[in-house]
Amino acid sequence: MNSQKGHAMIELAISATVMVTFLAGTFQFGYTFYIYNQLVSAVGNGARYAAQRTYRGATDRDIERGNQAIRNLVVYGDAQPAADAAPVIANLKPEHVEVRWVLNGDGIPATVDVTIRGFAVDAAIQTFAFDGRPSVEFPYVGRYAPAESEP
Amino acid sequence: MRRPTEKGFVLIAMSAAMFLLLAVIGMVFDLGRVYITRNEAQVFTDAASMAAAQQLDGTPAGLARARAAVAALPNHWNLGTKDFEGVVVEFSADNEHWKPEPAADELPSLRYARVTAPGNHVEIMFLRAVGGPETLTVPARAVASTGLVRLTQ
Repeated sequence: MNSQKGHAMIELAISATVMVTFLAGTFQFGYTFYIYNQLVSAVGNGARYAAQRTYRGATDRDIERGNQAIRNLVVYGDAQPAADAAPVIANLKPEHVEVRWVLNGDGIPATVDVTIRGFAVDAAIQTFAFDGRPSVEFPYVGRYAPAESEP
Repeated sequence: MRRPTEKGFVLIAMSAAMFLLLAVIGMVFDLGRVYITRNEAQVFTDAASMAAAQQLDGTPAGLARARAAVAALPNHWNLGTKDFEGVVVEFSADNEHWKPEPAADELPSLRYARVTAPGNHVEIMFLRAVGGPETLTVPARAVASTGLVRLTQ
């Protein structure tokens, strides 16, 4: 009788270890995929906003303020967020978002790329880093206003 | 010694549990990738249809530029690793009748571009072990018109 009890303990120990390992791995990947999916949506929304936004290029500061509005839209879902706004994805900050304009021969924006840089997803046991993806490019279709300043 | 009826119980229980576990892992891992692909493909077709519609100007050159603009988009799928393949670009004057190769006399009336990304075959890894398919295809499609929306802000 005693030896049977020992068997059951060992069996339980082995099977529980296997199960817990699988479940932990499943959670990690599931959570990371969930965050990645949200990143794709956020970057897509930001790039679409950038594509349709008025490009004001009076000074470098105006261009930077426009880029900041795009980064805010990716992170907060709002180009002019409130001071206490929460990011749509935990720990995502505007500095994780890169906005890159590709200008044509006349210096007019042709396309805009929005990319995630150096963002780490903390999936409890392991951390997954995303650098350079997701990345989305949209054609620029907005109004080009080289002489205007950001309001 | 165990009684005969108890023998192999753990084996059977573990097999049943493993089957269920594989199904759960498959749901999380494989369907997770499927949903990401759907999202990536939708963002790509949105951007591509805008890129194509923007180039339409009633000339054959505009049509060629529209196709080139779609082909030039660097957006990827499969967690940002694969190119979109077999992308179909079609054009229409009324948003109902679509043609990949419009006739010369139809060119001036074209107002819409439609982009379809049909070939996004997500390889299924875990659900396959519990009776799922080998691949799941996640197509996406988007339409854009030549009068693209511009934000005033």
